[in-house]
Amino acid sequence: MVYTKKSPALLIIGVIMLAIWFMADSGALSGYIEHLGGKKYKYFTELTSMPLYFGIIAALGGLWVLFGAHKEGQLDYYSSAIAGGMFILIIAMLVRWFIAPEIAVISTMMGKVGDTGKYIHKLLGLNYVVIGIVAGIVIVNVFRVPEWAENGVRLSRLGLKTGVILLGTLYSAAELKNLGGLSIIMIGFFVLGSVGIVLWMGARMKIPNSMGGVLSAGMGVCGVSATVAAAPVVQAKSVEIAYTIGTILLWGVGCMFIFPIVGNLLGMSHVQFGAWAGTGILNSAQVAGAALAFQPDGIETLKVAEIFNITRVLVLPIIVIWLAVWYVKREESVTETVNVGRVIFEKFPVFVIGFILLFALSSTGVFAPANHYKGKYFGNTTESGFKESKVLKSDQRSVLSAGMAQVQRQDRKDALQRLIDNGKVMSIEDDDALRGLINAKVLSSDANKILKGAHKAVRHTAKKIKAFREWITWLFAFGLVGLGMQITLSSMKQAGGQPAIIGAVVGSLKAVLSLIVVMMLVSETI
Amino acid sequence: MSEEKKFDRGSALSIFGSDRREDFMALLLALVIAFGVYLAY
Repeated sequence: MVYTKKSPALLIIGVIMLAIWFMADSGALSGYIEHLGGKKYKYFTELTSMPLYFGIIAALGGLWVLFGAHKEGQLDYYSSAIAGGMFILIIAMLVRWFIAPEIAVISTMMGKVGDTGKYIHKLLGLNYVVIGIVAGIVIVNVFRVPEWAENGVRLSRLGLKTGVILLGTLYSAAELKNLGGLSIIMIGFFVLGSVGIVLWMGARMKIPNSMGGVLSAGMGVCGVSATVAAAPVVQAKSVEIAYTIGTILLWGVGCMFIFPIVGNLLGMSHVQFGAWAGTGILNSAQVAGAALAFQPDGIETLKVAEIFNITRVLVLPIIVIWLAVWYVKREESVTETVNVGRVIFEKFPVFVIGFILLFALSSTGVFAPANHYKGKYFGNTTESGFKESKVLKSDQRSVLSAGMAQVQRQDRKDALQRLIDNGKVMSIEDDDALRGLINAKVLSSDANKILKGAHKAVRHTAKKIKAFREWITWLFAFGLVGLGMQITLSSMKQAGGQPAIIGAVVGSLKAVLSLIVVMMLVSETI
Repeated sequence: MSEEKKFDRGSALSIFGSDRREDFMALLLALVIAFGVYLAY
């Protein structure tokens, strides 16, 4: 089978990308960018670089597709995926740079919604992540993915996994330790609880043990990969695997859109939302989707959510062993022996190990100076690197003083007072406390802006870390638009009957209980 | 699933033959990007 389809589409995509770059770089787009927010428009740097590089790749690839000789084989198979990859990428670009900002402009013009004090696009989380996924769903279900792009659309999961691995570069050891402790407790409770409830409900509703086993792994651990890993130990049939994946997909897609809306309505902090999404949403990709939908222009929520998600994947071997023992006890007729150790070894997701590897590599200081995470401008003298111009002005100090009454935690009050007295953040502990205060969203937006400025004055992000953030954002944007293109109505229709009922009950329980636990126990900073 | 019939290699969700292979490719890609970032910035 020859996968490359002779089509001018890839060349056209390349030309469109180059045209976007040219118009942005030459200033032809400046009027439109002014309309989209002017100085507040965040993507100008991306507009004047990314479409140039990827436009050249797409145009050259397009020429190869049109004029190259394509024979069946490895080169044809993998190179034909470029067209689909670029198809996803140009949609992600158009949505992030133009469509989402345009929707924000229209929504702002419509005014705030009732008593919520928020614009409709903020309330519904209509940002580039959500719109990108919806665009993917619409394309595949209404227009269908073009034939020339079909092979490459299957690259989206590779993008998501690469993004998760690279996320490892962004954590500090202290952050990982604090988040890890909390996630182990929450994930341990909710994963084991979900598996137990599904198995119990399955027995009560008399569904086959193999169905109950595979559904429990999918609902409890991490969706599709857990389903695939658990399938051999409970001898699940293909149709049972399909039912489970359909149920998870149906539930996960709903969660991906509903979680950010609930998070916004409840005013959740980044840490709280990340912990909730990482615990309550079933599938890894949808966890990332919800986290980025909640905080589209920052990576803090995604970082928290992924730690919870990775902790969940690490529980997978325990669940596989549990299900193996459970299944053998319940099915006396089991004759075929399954090597549980081998199943775990063969099915354990290696990308999680990749994440740990990149974290270890980053911890050596190879990507950022050793003092990157510590900050280095806390000294009061200019010799220590701090610029006098960064000290807070008296009007800024007044805004912060006015907000003091709203701060309840003593450590934050003290840190804020020191900031007001000195005009700058004085220590790493104060910086952490003040960042927690920003995340808690208890101060006015003006006060939060001043706090963010004070934070930036003392802690500069290393260039390499900035570059990693950009790569990660785009890998996830790419992966999630592609994920949307894989959400077909036919695949969701596979859910049904008793597995769907059990899935809905356990999924709802997990989402609601984890929300209650997060709101009660998770502080804004950890 | 009907999507699977369109391809004689990989699965409906991935161009790679197995999850393990996709994981290794993601790891390789991540290391290439990390090396590129290390050199370029």
